[in-house]
Amino acid sequence: MVFLGGCDLNTKMSTFDTKGPIAETQLDLFMLTVWVTTFIFIVVGGVFVVAIVKFRERPNDDRPMPSQGHGNPLVEIGLIGASVLLLVIIAVPTLQAIWYTHDTPTDEHSKLGNWYPGDDLAEGSEDEVLVIRVIGYQWWWEFEYPQLGISTANEMVIPAGKAVHLELRSVDVIHSFWLPRIAGKVDLIPGRANAMWIQAGDNIEAWTEKNGAKGSELELQAAYNKYLEEEIHDYYYGQCAEYCGDSHARMLFRATVVGDDDFAAWVDSERVGHTAPDGMAWDEWYKIYDSKPESLTGDLNEGAKVFMGRGKCIACHSVEGNPRALGVAGPNLTNVGERLSIAAGWLNHHTEEDVLIEEEQYANFVKWIKETDVVKPGNLMWKANGNGIGELTDPDNPEQLKLLTDEEIHYLARYLQSLK
Amino acid sequence: MSDSATHHEDGHKSLIIDNKKLLMWLFLGSDCMFFGTLISTHLIYRKLNPEEFDPTSMFSLELTSFSTFILLMSSFLMALAVSAMHKGQIKSFRRNTVGVIFFGLIFLACQVYEFTEFAHLGLTLESGTFGSTFYLMTGTHGVHVAIGVFWLICMLFYSYTGKMDAHESAVDVEVAGLYWHFVDIVWIIIFTVVYLIEFIGKV
Amino acid sequence: MSTVTETPAPSTHTEDKHVLKPERSNLGLMRPDHNKSVLIDWLTTVDHKKIGIMYGAIALFFLLVGGVEALIIRTQLAFPENDLISAQRYNQLFTMHGTTMIFLAIMPLNAAFFNFLVPLQIGARDVAFPRINSFSLWAFVAGALVINFGWVLQAVEVMGLFSASGPTAGMNDFVPSMGWFGYAPITGIEFTGAGTDFWIMGLQILGVASLSAAMNFVVTIINMRAPGMKMMRLPVFTWMTLVVSLLIVFAFPAITIALAQLMFDRTFGTSFFVTAGGGQPILWQHLFWIFGHPEVYILVLPAMGIVSEVLPTFSKKPLFGYAIVVFSGAVIGFLGFAVWSHHMFTTGLGKVATAAFSLLTMAIAVPTGVKIFNWVGTLWGGRVRFAPPMIFALGFVWMFMMGGFSGIMHASAPADAQQQDSYFVIAHFHYVAIGGIFLAVVSGIYFWLPKIVGKMWKGKLSIWVAIFSTVGLNITFFPMHFLGLLGMPRRTHTYLEGFGWETYNLVCTIGSYILAFGIFLLVVDIIRCVRSGEPAGNDPWDARTLEWETTSPPQVYNFGRTPVIAARDALWEHKHGPENRRITYEEDDGHGIHMPSQSWMPMIASLGFVPLGLGLSLMQAGIPYMGYVAIFGLFMIALGVALWAIEGPGGYHLHPEEEK
Repeated sequence: MVFLGGCDLNTKMSTFDTKGPIAETQLDLFMLTVWVTTFIFIVVGGVFVVAIVKFRERPNDDRPMPSQGHGNPLVEIGLIGASVLLLVIIAVPTLQAIWYTHDTPTDEHSKLGNWYPGDDLAEGSEDEVLVIRVIGYQWWWEFEYPQLGISTANEMVIPAGKAVHLELRSVDVIHSFWLPRIAGKVDLIPGRANAMWIQAGDNIEAWTEKNGAKGSELELQAAYNKYLEEEIHDYYYGQCAEYCGDSHARMLFRATVVGDDDFAAWVDSERVGHTAPDGMAWDEWYKIYDSKPESLTGDLNEGAKVFMGRGKCIACHSVEGNPRALGVAGPNLTNVGERLSIAAGWLNHHTEEDVLIEEEQYANFVKWIKETDVVKPGNLMWKANGNGIGELTDPDNPEQLKLLTDEEIHYLARYLQSLK
Repeated sequence: MSDSATHHEDGHKSLIIDNKKLLMWLFLGSDCMFFGTLISTHLIYRKLNPEEFDPTSMFSLELTSFSTFILLMSSFLMALAVSAMHKGQIKSFRRNTVGVIFFGLIFLACQVYEFTEFAHLGLTLESGTFGSTFYLMTGTHGVHVAIGVFWLICMLFYSYTGKMDAHESAVDVEVAGLYWHFVDIVWIIIFTVVYLIEFIGKV
Repeated sequence: MSTVTETPAPSTHTEDKHVLKPERSNLGLMRPDHNKSVLIDWLTTVDHKKIGIMYGAIALFFLLVGGVEALIIRTQLAFPENDLISAQRYNQLFTMHGTTMIFLAIMPLNAAFFNFLVPLQIGARDVAFPRINSFSLWAFVAGALVINFGWVLQAVEVMGLFSASGPTAGMNDFVPSMGWFGYAPITGIEFTGAGTDFWIMGLQILGVASLSAAMNFVVTIINMRAPGMKMMRLPVFTWMTLVVSLLIVFAFPAITIALAQLMFDRTFGTSFFVTAGGGQPILWQHLFWIFGHPEVYILVLPAMGIVSEVLPTFSKKPLFGYAIVVFSGAVIGFLGFAVWSHHMFTTGLGKVATAAFSLLTMAIAVPTGVKIFNWVGTLWGGRVRFAPPMIFALGFVWMFMMGGFSGIMHASAPADAQQQDSYFVIAHFHYVAIGGIFLAVVSGIYFWLPKIVGKMWKGKLSIWVAIFSTVGLNITFFPMHFLGLLGMPRRTHTYLEGFGWETYNLVCTIGSYILAFGIFLLVVDIIRCVRSGEPAGNDPWDARTLEWETTSPPQVYNFGRTPVIAARDALWEHKHGPENRRITYEEDDGHGIHMPSQSWMPMIASLGFVPLGLGLSLMQAGIPYMGYVAIFGLFMIALGVALWAIEGPGGYHLHPEEEK
């Protein structure tokens, strides 16, 4: 215990470093169980140690034979009573916490209509909290925002201080959504409509109460905003917690917690998506692409050609704005160039302060496209190619798995980087 | 079929109930859990997927009632066989056992007929949860009946070897009887919760 | 040593013929009773002591196999992004580590103690059904072979002598890789290959073995007790055997049916766990844990029984609150059926169900705590002697408490939401499994091996075993609590740098090697004891229960004359108690001791499970003619059982000519 005490408990996925009411409730409950059990441990362990020291056999022991009594009912009943009492201490807050963490709150602060700055909500959702549909695939995450009509992969964005309702679905095997600093896990089970709620940071009332802050409404609001900005706005790490096959260990995800305006801006950029390279409109670009593709030059145009053509990326991936990139089997690549990690959080390209490093991003894209089976064994992109998409004729020949030349991969990586 | 260390000499053991009978009771307790699991799986899926399949269109209450009645009667004969063996009336034992075997075979024939009929009507193992649970459950019961019939046939043959003695063999027959009654009771439960319940409000 | 003569069974009362005469069974074949070959003697034995020793030896072998699997796992995790083994191999290893340790190491180790001790403790000559006992042993071996067969295929494939075809072609997974609780739908045909089939068939066979053994022990304990050995005079270990056997009888059917349903899904296209056909994968979890939670108590109650024998012996005091310890064991067994969903707190049970299972789980902590109180109470006022068995038993109490505490933490469902499927859970159940069950089993080995082989331990190696194993297990598993709380999920073959997990993982790995060294020393100590220990004598520990009354090792007939029991802790009262509580012996009636005949049939019948299991699995994997192999297996089982019935029980009489 001593040598461990020196270790840092505020790590990226620490359940001690809570940033939300749910994780906090769960931690409080955990600490309660720790104190209660430590108490029992000291009492029972103490008696145990005293017993073996005091009643140990000594050399040339000539004390009389121990009494052969068979126990004492009063002691037994007393101890049973004491254990029940100690358990009640744990049981009562447990029940409260079960109820609290189960039902998504519908407080005024969290209702979309009361905080979402945009005016493009789906009808009837003003009185609802933000809903995100989390869909688990082997081995990546899809995050759909049905009220906002957008969808992203592996890196979700949520507003700070608002309750968010998650609908958990799986299309293949069981996964489990775990964002330790914000909430404990709930499983994504095929054929079953599970749900949970999460919230990054307290809402203003809870925060005021907790800190005993005083002042005018404006002052409070300002202090609260500062709290959100300094303590809550962050990049949170999560991971699949239920074994889901070969690459279970590489099924991570991120949650970026932002302020209301940033959230709305992100939603907008997700909706608009991307134009063709060089700011061209897609119709125009496709006209050239279909007639004389060789006239599209430059890294990004070459990359886009691979994306639409030889790479067959659009068979599985969609990109907002691009009318032909409508695949649904793989992650949505809108704004993929902005994400700080790819391959479901396994390949990272950012600094400790969460700033994107372009060269690492490029290297990661190249690595992922080239060695997709090494980065994530058994994944669909590799299996689908193994089944003959592209030019593959002989699956036993590893050389053939390289659908694309190194040059094409270079262009493709540059193009993907540009999607931001 | 006797496999017991409690032989004559060991009569001083704390016998409350004969070893073999106790073993059979334990097996039946375990078997209760088997059928309990199978039947509850069926009922759970029936509730979860009520629209999947309408069994009333397929079940023939007349046929299944008949086979249920046959199985009940076989249980009655089984009881007679056990009692005959206790009294050492080997001929009566044989007569009744032949009856049990015969009725058991009729039941099995009914079930085979029923299965083929249902398969023709489109209920197969692959056709969904109803087919899955129905066939696994009634099939397991059918296997129990078949094992019982096989067991009784063996006993019948054994009775002609002249090695049956009224004391030891009576226990063996009683154990077989326990098994047979149990299989019968399970069928009555299946008949009630799988067949009859479906017709509530429909007849 | 007594001299023994014997006569064939149907002995006429007139004159005892003191001759060894081989006997023919009803089949007209020689019974293997007096075969001179040691191998045949062991293969056909129906002696509960030999069967127990074989269970123990095979279980220790699989303990080492599972241990090596664990070491490879820990080595892979020593460093972030390590690539010692592939993801797939890692998944196979943790699946087989769990399956092996639970079904092939701990359960048979417990069975070894049941077999060897229970008839001795209750004053019986054997179990109620000696040939069923032999059947259980060999069925267990058959299951172990089937479940591990994938490793053989994998090895053959790596050598390039064989490649898969059919549905599993290219999947390259002959070894199960879905975790020991095999949650649907990852066990479905779309996601995993032949390994899953081996696992299904292997577990199914092991289930048959466990069920038949359990029923046998219930009958034995209820019916075979010596005169005067009332239920409330039974040694606690025998009581726990009874509870565990009843748990097996009522818990195993759930997994048997679940496995059958899974097999039908894979082989015949049913939709029990397939969402496309309307099935619900969650059903598997319910069925599995209805079996799985009692299974936890099936594993741990015998350990509690062992400790409840060792602590009084080395405190020179009766167990504190015998009746309450027995009763709490029964309550644990009963409540064990009512808490299965606490393994499923994160599956969205709904708040009422979650609350109910949360409270029930806390309730089960009470009888468990009661046992710990009573063990401490046993020490209090006694004379505690730190003999090797005692050291491990004391270690058990300490470590088991630790495992129990993290168990209470899981019982609080919202807190469990952070712990479930993380390394915290790994820490919890390894404290229970190694700190609890394993230490208790080692304590049992140190306690009873002198009785089993008749030789005493040499030297002080046991101290080093204790030091290395307890230190090793704490270094391995204590940091795992923190790993889990810092967010490391279980069953991950590797992890990224920078999550604060590196140091903990490295420490865990170092600890696992220390623990492994402790187990290595244990094996050395056992070998030393068996090879060159001094004769132990009947009662080397000044013990309390009936098994120490007979010779070490016990004669094949256990007791020359049937003991008549007058008190709980029969031997202790005999040695130190008043006159009226001594053990007396029944008069010899001149018939001699009736012994059951040995038989080939149980082994033939149970080994038929090997072709049956492998045939069905490989048929599913698309290998031709395997259906016939399966049919052959079925035929072999039926033939074995039929011949077993026809050959008759046989038996012969022994006449020990000795003082008692």
